[in-house]
Amino acid sequence: MASTIPGIKDAREILKKNKIVVAGIGETEQGKIPNKSSFQFLSEASKLAIEDAGLKKTDVDGLVTAFSLVEHTFMHCTTFADYFGLNPKFFSSIAIGGATAVWMVAEAAMAIASGQAETVLCVRGDNTLSGISSSGMMALIREMCHAEFEYPYGLTTPGGYALAAQRYMHEYGATSEQLASVAVTMRKHAAMKDNAMNKDPLSIDDVLNSRIIAEPLHKYDCSIISDGGAAFIVTTEQKAKELGIEKPLAYLWGMGQGYSHQYMTTLQDLNQIYSAIERSGKRAFDTAGIGPKDVNLAYLYDCFTITVLLELEGLGFVEKGEAGPYALEGRMEIGKDLPINTHGGLLSQAHLGAMHHVIEATRQLRGEAGPRQADNAEVALVHGNGGIVSAHSTILLGKQALS
Amino acid sequence: MSEENKYNKPLPEFRPETKPFWDACKNHELLLPKSKETNEFFFYPRALSPGDDMAEVEWGKASGKAKVWTYSIHHMGPTKAYKGDGPYVVALVETEEGVKMMTNIVDCDPNDVHVGMDVEVVFDDVTEEVTLPKFKPTA
Repeated sequence: MASTIPGIKDAREILKKNKIVVAGIGETEQGKIPNKSSFQFLSEASKLAIEDAGLKKTDVDGLVTAFSLVEHTFMHCTTFADYFGLNPKFFSSIAIGGATAVWMVAEAAMAIASGQAETVLCVRGDNTLSGISSSGMMALIREMCHAEFEYPYGLTTPGGYALAAQRYMHEYGATSEQLASVAVTMRKHAAMKDNAMNKDPLSIDDVLNSRIIAEPLHKYDCSIISDGGAAFIVTTEQKAKELGIEKPLAYLWGMGQGYSHQYMTTLQDLNQIYSAIERSGKRAFDTAGIGPKDVNLAYLYDCFTITVLLELEGLGFVEKGEAGPYALEGRMEIGKDLPINTHGGLLSQAHLGAMHHVIEATRQLRGEAGPRQADNAEVALVHGNGGIVSAHSTILLGKQALS
Repeated sequence: MSEENKYNKPLPEFRPETKPFWDACKNHELLLPKSKETNEFFFYPRALSPGDDMAEVEWGKASGKAKVWTYSIHHMGPTKAYKGDGPYVVALVETEEGVKMMTNIVDCDPNDVHVGMDVEVVFDDVTEEVTLPKFKPTA
């Protein structure tokens, strides 16, 4: 038989055959929790996810972690394996910023599909709010921009996103009210989430009257910083049955990545960002054999209000320039056109990359989201972005197996 | 230089492949790297052209003229050294040579800065070793 290079069709067949699932989820308390360390959050979240699936620790044979902004580790995954007491057959640390959590699902799936592991624990936790030193925060800001050609001009992380926001507003006539409405929707959703850090009502005026950080972004256009941990377990439908997992499963329907740039200096135009988001989404959609209209719930990376608008457009849910009015009309709220970040997102619930986005998508597909439960929760899209809208990853999760 | 006047904001650390850029800045000259094969300018400086040619690099003199592509008035700086400075403008400008550079827009009211604004390079000798190219509105 002639060898062939696998393509989207093969990816689809692999997912149909293997039936990769998110089977266990766990999230610790989130917020300002000064008496817990980074590895404590990782351990507690892992235990919660293992217990949620009804598993024993020894059932886990794969481990995917991310990185810590507080504890500087050279090999994060194996440092945690040592701390937690795991002997994984497959282990990997992913460090692609906000694109990490989404890609954890994909990397676990690829490990399973290639016979490296069967039950993969994916975990991230950190005491970012309480544990980071001012020098650590400075180092983080420096790493987000070019140390030699951007940082000497005083660029901050919100400032990088502000540069994208300003250009977006210039090209499409978007307004500060439209950006603010994204934060307002996230707060409405967070009010219904047990462990959300910020639940107090927030109005558009509250956002516009909050301190300006980097024009055009205000304090409430920026995500929160929090302490906490979150974990999920990726396995197959068959293995879940063998292990006696009783919780409903969330099936992986597709995945993709898209790269735009690392430094804002090398960004040609906004289309470069849109193209990366589109390519990331397209590979996931094509694998699943569906399009944006088939998605009932979207989990978009909301490190700043602007990213939600860019992703909503780049992923094809609305035309370019239409996300602002869409947000302002409240169409991203639960019960409306396309509920987005039903848990409150990074703007109001907690900031642990897209970990909670993956977990909430799973919760919704299970029908376990309580007061936040959306109708017709059949297909959820989760999108993460790392850098300054630089590196993108997308997954699609379904309530039923891919057919 | 007295302790009080010491420049304590972030400074670039030069790499071998970027040093010609900073050396030129010190002489108040804006040099940009370009591909030896295609003559296309790029920025920031790398050891090889980031284009498909992977070509060797040569340096070309830039006109110093640019347009603001986007900007953000920063009300908070990345380090304590910015405290008390007041708002400052971080911008991406597109030079006549077609590359983007991050910079500060200086010598004007931050609120007058706008996308598409014509600007020209000025050199800020922040320390004895480092000169940062910045941009001001074209007269």
